[in-house]
Amino acid sequence: MLMLKMAFRNIFRHKRRTVLTGLSMFGGFVLAAIFIGWADGTYNGIIDSFTRNNLGHIQIHAENYLDRPSLYKTIDDLDKVKSALTGLNHVDDWAPRVYSSGLASFQSKSSGVQITGIDPVRENKTTRFHKKIIKGQDFSQKPDHEVLLGKGLAKVLNAEIGDEVVFISQAADGSVANDLYKVKGLIDMGDEASNRTAFFLHIQDAQELLVLGERIHEVAVTVDDLDRVRNINQTLEKRLHKTGLDPAPWQEFARSFYVAMKADMQGMWIMLVIIILVVAIGVLNTVLMSVLERRREYGVLKAVGTKSHQIIRLVLTEVNILAFFSVILGIGVGLVVNMILSQHGISLSQPITWGGMEIQTMKAEINLRSFIIPTITIFLSATLVSFFPAVKAARTEPAEIMRMY
Amino acid sequence: MWFYIKLACRNIFRNKRRTIIASTAMGIGLASLIFVDGLMIGMKESMIRSATGSFLGEAQIHLKGYRQSREVEETIHQKMKVINELEQEQTVENFASRALSYAMITSAANVRSVQMVGVQPQKEKFVSKIDEAIQEGTFFQEDNPRSILIGKELAEILEVELGDRVVLTVSQAKSGDLSQEMFRVSGIFSFNAQEMDKGMIFIKLDKAQEMMNLDGGIHEIAVHFKNIQLSLQPDLSFWQKYSRWGNEAVSWTEILPQMMAVWDLTYLSRLVMSVIIAAVVVFGIINTLFMSLYERLFEFGVLRAVGTRSGGIRKLMVFEAGALGIISAGIGIILGLALIGIFAYTGIDYRGIEFAGSTIQELIYPVLKVYQFIYYPLGVVAFVSMVGLYPAITASRMSITKAMRRSL
Amino acid sequence: MKKGVCLAIAFFFAAGLGMLWAQEKKIDAREIVEKIDELYRSDSSKALMEMEIVTPHWQRTLKMRVWSEGMDKTFIRILEPKKERGMGTLRMENEMWNYLPKTNKVIKIPPSMMMSSYMGSDFTNNDLVREYTFTEDYDFNLTQVDNPEPDLIYVKCVPHEGLPIVWGHIILAVRSEDYLPVWQKYYDEKGELVREMFFKDIKLFEDRWIPSVMELIPFTKEGHRTLIRYIEVKFDLQIDSSIFTLRNLRSGI
Repeated sequence: MLMLKMAFRNIFRHKRRTVLTGLSMFGGFVLAAIFIGWADGTYNGIIDSFTRNNLGHIQIHAENYLDRPSLYKTIDDLDKVKSALTGLNHVDDWAPRVYSSGLASFQSKSSGVQITGIDPVRENKTTRFHKKIIKGQDFSQKPDHEVLLGKGLAKVLNAEIGDEVVFISQAADGSVANDLYKVKGLIDMGDEASNRTAFFLHIQDAQELLVLGERIHEVAVTVDDLDRVRNINQTLEKRLHKTGLDPAPWQEFARSFYVAMKADMQGMWIMLVIIILVVAIGVLNTVLMSVLERRREYGVLKAVGTKSHQIIRLVLTEVNILAFFSVILGIGVGLVVNMILSQHGISLSQPITWGGMEIQTMKAEINLRSFIIPTITIFLSATLVSFFPAVKAARTEPAEIMRMY
Repeated sequence: MWFYIKLACRNIFRNKRRTIIASTAMGIGLASLIFVDGLMIGMKESMIRSATGSFLGEAQIHLKGYRQSREVEETIHQKMKVINELEQEQTVENFASRALSYAMITSAANVRSVQMVGVQPQKEKFVSKIDEAIQEGTFFQEDNPRSILIGKELAEILEVELGDRVVLTVSQAKSGDLSQEMFRVSGIFSFNAQEMDKGMIFIKLDKAQEMMNLDGGIHEIAVHFKNIQLSLQPDLSFWQKYSRWGNEAVSWTEILPQMMAVWDLTYLSRLVMSVIIAAVVVFGIINTLFMSLYERLFEFGVLRAVGTRSGGIRKLMVFEAGALGIISAGIGIILGLALIGIFAYTGIDYRGIEFAGSTIQELIYPVLKVYQFIYYPLGVVAFVSMVGLYPAITASRMSITKAMRRSL
Repeated sequence: MKKGVCLAIAFFFAAGLGMLWAQEKKIDAREIVEKIDELYRSDSSKALMEMEIVTPHWQRTLKMRVWSEGMDKTFIRILEPKKERGMGTLRMENEMWNYLPKTNKVIKIPPSMMMSSYMGSDFTNNDLVREYTFTEDYDFNLTQVDNPEPDLIYVKCVPHEGLPIVWGHIILAVRSEDYLPVWQKYYDEKGELVREMFFKDIKLFEDRWIPSVMELIPFTKEGHRTLIRYIEVKFDLQIDSSIFTLRNLRSGI
């Protein structure tokens, strides 16, 4: 108790020193917290845009579909998926898809294509599909033998809105799948290769064409909070156990994107380490100076009988009290700043558009680790750096110290 | 004036421990700024190299419209003129011609649709990294016109090994007739990129031209600049110069827009991060400086007591701050050099990561640039001196007795 | 694969000149191989056949009528099943077209589709287009196999280097009495058996004895096989040139 009282009094006695030391802790804390909140927020924002825009956050397929896709590996009972999804918190939306490949032909031109059968209403809600449309219109509500072509494909086939395109492939029963589709619109998928093969049909048209009945190949699911993806995926796995269906998070089916993001984030981690280092050094510096400069005081204390270990404890207590208040204040200010940044963010002068996705604002995120990491940094560096000079001060003979100063 | 400078220096060196601690702290801050700067540049260059180095090249020339249609007939116009100009072009380090087509490759076990690329081995070596990606066999070192290089994944699907025979089917220009030829697998490569390892095959350019009945025509020239950052400049004269005669020269940024999109997105977040780092460093410097000046208030009090005028105190403190700044700058420069030096040599390892059709084959090398070692240190010295003004003014105004109270 | 199909093509284009001669007892590999090649050559032919396709996911039987002239022209009309009735395929030299009655469209088969399977069978579109002969394009020798059957003769054929043929070698098994094929085994260059073709049900068509059933079994795909059965074949008949036209293709007959 005496220790605490003395510590407090010491702190308030040397205002400027206290302020400077405290400032280094407080300032460092706030900046580190903002950095982490911003980095996490923007990365998650980017990941969310990319995945939500097309792939979805979680995809459900029949077993083994992801490894070796095949027309025959289907989800036979959509109801199982629907029931697995009901009541799951944080799930936004879901959309079914059918996939196949074949030949599309218009007049004298033909080209290999990748068919995707989508449910227009669901797809627009889930992945904002309609944003990809650059010319023409979206599907009609009811299936009407309409097709949306990738813009590169339209060019290769020399087909325009309103033209009728033939499609031929093999159906699931082995028969020849072929039919005519009217070009309703053109889309931009974001990369040239996809644009040259994209062939979107209404899912019911696709099922009829490929003799799939009610079967589909994929259900794409979006969630409202990227951090929960893995958890939700696990829950889905449990619920879909033994149904032969396999949910996978974006980290698996968009593996290359995930790995690239991780790599970029590693760059961020390097910068975080640098920040922590600089903050720690700042704290180090101020605490060190303040302890070293007060060795005379400690000398006096020893002279009047304070034991060595008490001196050490005194130093450590002072430093930690200071750290404590700096951190509290830091959390307060950090929270406010991060909240502002997460609501309003920073806007780009020109939105970045790509494949139907548009990003204008980058936002920060409020999460636990943006406060935990700085806290640990401050306390650790403060305590560590004050330890050794404290020990030294505690050990030196009082007479020697007082002579020095 | 000189007097104060001499005094400032002596003060600095008198209390070595304090000086070392303070200047080291600020020096580390400076070194961080330099390092992060180099890191950012390095990351950008690395991204460019990853996107373009494996195969794409930083720029490509095609006949206008070829990129969208991929028709075999659409070969580059005035090929010889273009090639001659490229040979003379200052900004170009290397270039290579290619003939491309969709093709079917058949083995005894399986058949696959692939992208066939006819290359000139000697020139291709310097533009793309196919030769480095070879895991088994060689990069067209033998004289056999029927050599073919296939990706590791494709080899598995086709169940073939080095030396096995495969058949390529392509359609010829103009007539649309089919051309079928036998090849022997002379090399197996892995770019660690699915698209390439499963979907691309390489044969010799003249054989490809023969099969497609191109009469010496080529579809693509891939270009490697001396300075890869040129590819990011939209107003480079290169683009216009090689877009004549019906051709079109574009940068990789147009061919792989998704890569640029990701870079642009993360750019803003990186920018803010750099600002934060700078803020942290600046903050640290201010703090350190204040600390080291304020705790010597006693000394300055003594000085004033023996008659030094306010102005003199101010000058002294500012010079001390400046001297401290210079020492910090020195430490910072050495540290910065060391850090960048080490990492520029060993690199930061992101190898093997694939994205958007390209693989990061590079280590990320922070880049040493002269300006880093001029602007940042100068900035630090100037800043430190300026910051030193604040405690200087405080000290010069404070009553002497207060200053001599031996405490901050 | 090419060679095996060659035999299939032969059946499409109908049998060769005259009967097989089972004269000399001296076994000459060249003779056997020539006869196999000749077996499937004719100036023209018209055939009615069935193709039975079995895969792990479905099973179908197609019925079709096939006209051929020389080595360059083929016309196929699908008669059954109902969904495909009226579909047609026209091959003229190296080009191929399909007619789809449902959409009333004719599409040209691009190179990317040439190697894909014909109607989902184990034969490819390409097989209808190319032809190589054992006599000219292979080196052949009498050979021995493990567990030989007493009345069969075996010939090993190795394709000439440089030809776009994927096989390492092919073993033909023919009947010693009339040199009619019994089976053919296709090996890759490592000596692995990749596919096997069986010839059964020898029947008399006009004046020729020909195996009326050919069955192709690939070893690289589980559960797949294709069987072709000849119901009627006429050789060297007069075929109206208008048969091999796009107009005829569109007519749906």
